[in-house]
Amino acid sequence: MSKVFFREALARAISEEMEREPRLFLLGQDIAGHGGSYAETRGLFERFGPARVRNTPVAEAMTVGFAAGAAAAGLRAMAFITYLDFLMLGLDALVNYAAKLRFKSAGQLTAPIVVKATAGAKGQGPTHAQSIESWLMNVPGLTVLAPSNPGDAYGLLKTALRAPGPVVFIDHKKLFPQGGVVPEREELIPIGSAAVRRAGRHLTLVAHSYMSVLALEAAKLLAAQGIEAEVIDLRSLWPIDWEALTGSVRHTGHLLTVEEGQVVCGVGAEIAFGLRERVPELRVARLGARRAPVAASPVLEAYTIPDAQAIVGAAHELLRRAANGQSTNG
Amino acid sequence: MVAAAGSPSHDRGDYVERMRRFKSMLLLRSFEAALLRQAKPGFQLLSRGEEAVAVGVCAALERRDPLLCSGRSIGTALARGMAPGPLLAELIGKDGGPNRGRAGRAHVSMPSIGFFGAHGVVGGNLPVAAGVAFAQQQLATGAVTCCLFGDGACGAGVLHETLNIAALWHLPLVLICTNNGYAVSTPVHEALAPVRLTDLAAPYRIPTASIDGADVDAVAGHTAQSVADTRAGRGPCFLELRCERLATHSNLTREERAAAELDRLHERDPLLLYERRLRSEGLQEDALWSQMRAEVEREVDAAERFAEAAAWPDGEQALLDV
Repeated sequence: MSKVFFREALARAISEEMEREPRLFLLGQDIAGHGGSYAETRGLFERFGPARVRNTPVAEAMTVGFAAGAAAAGLRAMAFITYLDFLMLGLDALVNYAAKLRFKSAGQLTAPIVVKATAGAKGQGPTHAQSIESWLMNVPGLTVLAPSNPGDAYGLLKTALRAPGPVVFIDHKKLFPQGGVVPEREELIPIGSAAVRRAGRHLTLVAHSYMSVLALEAAKLLAAQGIEAEVIDLRSLWPIDWEALTGSVRHTGHLLTVEEGQVVCGVGAEIAFGLRERVPELRVARLGARRAPVAASPVLEAYTIPDAQAIVGAAHELLRRAANGQSTNG
Repeated sequence: MVAAAGSPSHDRGDYVERMRRFKSMLLLRSFEAALLRQAKPGFQLLSRGEEAVAVGVCAALERRDPLLCSGRSIGTALARGMAPGPLLAELIGKDGGPNRGRAGRAHVSMPSIGFFGAHGVVGGNLPVAAGVAFAQQQLATGAVTCCLFGDGACGAGVLHETLNIAALWHLPLVLICTNNGYAVSTPVHEALAPVRLTDLAAPYRIPTASIDGADVDAVAGHTAQSVADTRAGRGPCFLELRCERLATHSNLTREERAAAELDRLHERDPLLLYERRLRSEGLQEDALWSQMRAEVEREVDAAERFAEAAAWPDGEQALLDV
């Protein structure tokens, strides 16, 4: 195992896959000589050249549609969308074309693309901060991945780059400075597998992306207070690893979902409902951003987005209400 | 000099090709009439009045050239060589269609014959076509990608994005705007500031031409020239084909145009114009024309029988290939 930054794990996965698949090309803003907004494509332009690592203009609608068309016609494409907020400009091509292509052509065409976009609040205000991944979970035909550490990013991105597609691969601004281990040898992580980050018996915390990091912090704080939280990192938002989730909540009996985005029709809403269908006696609560846009001010941003303390508070509230026989729906 | 595929010279081969073009346009017209006769014809955007665009453009393409089009796709699909029976089955939602009834008129495709597909979102196929053209460029297939879109798409921002990248990356892409004068009920002059739609491509230094889209030979000839230029490595082209939509926007849309205007538009019926021209050039034997009409009618009858006999999909097929 070697220790690398998140961005290095992405670059390594892409580099290995470009080596393996000569038809794979990259397109997006600032990914060539500049090496990506977070240096996550550093070295790829120098290694693979201008034919396969292509800077685009600021044109997300074209970028996603172009990637899908090129992939449908025999290439493989990885499209870089700087912020997940900007994917809204490319949603038509992603949702109306790429996600439906295999279906609407009765299997004659498919669009093996990975669209990578960066979510998360980090001081950049209302349209550079959103976590809208739950929107994408709603779309039949899309695979949605959101890893929380370099090792998962490496293994999942490699799998995504070989998948029939389309895949949306969501990373997070606060993950880029994080280090972690990746295997020395090539290793793929299957799509649709969650990871148990910490075992516990009192409640299950379910999170993804950067919130998995905070959920682990919260679990440590809870442990100091005598509460053992099991932490499950979804990694794959669609498909969902129901087996791993069900196994956990069957023995903890309590579920707290944690996400950075809005809770209305959010990731947690889907997880909680799906688990209640499977485990009817389950006590559930959900935690996410307060219902407001993300502000530029760090004070306002911090008020809106959950942190480890908020997770600890929500966990206590869930367990208290459950013990009192009160309703626990978040 | 080798004559381009779409510009026949005046010899015996020319005559055969011209009769084929007329017959192909007639097939489109008769096919759509048969579609409307179906018990449940569905939601259809007809190509009536725009047959010369479909037939002329397809005459200029090789089989390997991917063709994409808007949701006004029926004429294009037929002209590209899709068999009428399976197409009719697709349009009414049966399993016997090339896309097993899932695509319908707005999304029908058959990549094996070079028909990469229609798209129901106005302008939606433009960036897709650029990507398809890029794949041809990277894989060095020598194929030219062609994308048909309506004047309605000229108001969409993605046209700018597509023109820009096509010019910048020198893509083998022929963009063809079918200007039928209306986006549903809105006339071009109310929707678009540029007086000439070809001006849209000018800032990108993409060569343009505006052509009479009711003249199948003009469409075929100019498209063939653009395709040849693009195939020779000269980058993308932009053509405007001026034509008339003789039907309402869709079979479910109210007619918004005055009777006098419709009378005037019917004077530009491409079948009428072409038959008049061919007769004036010597093709006057009535037997020839009636034989052609009878052959088309037989082909359309067979298509109707095929679609009638085709099975409906099972409901569970809705979950396949998601």
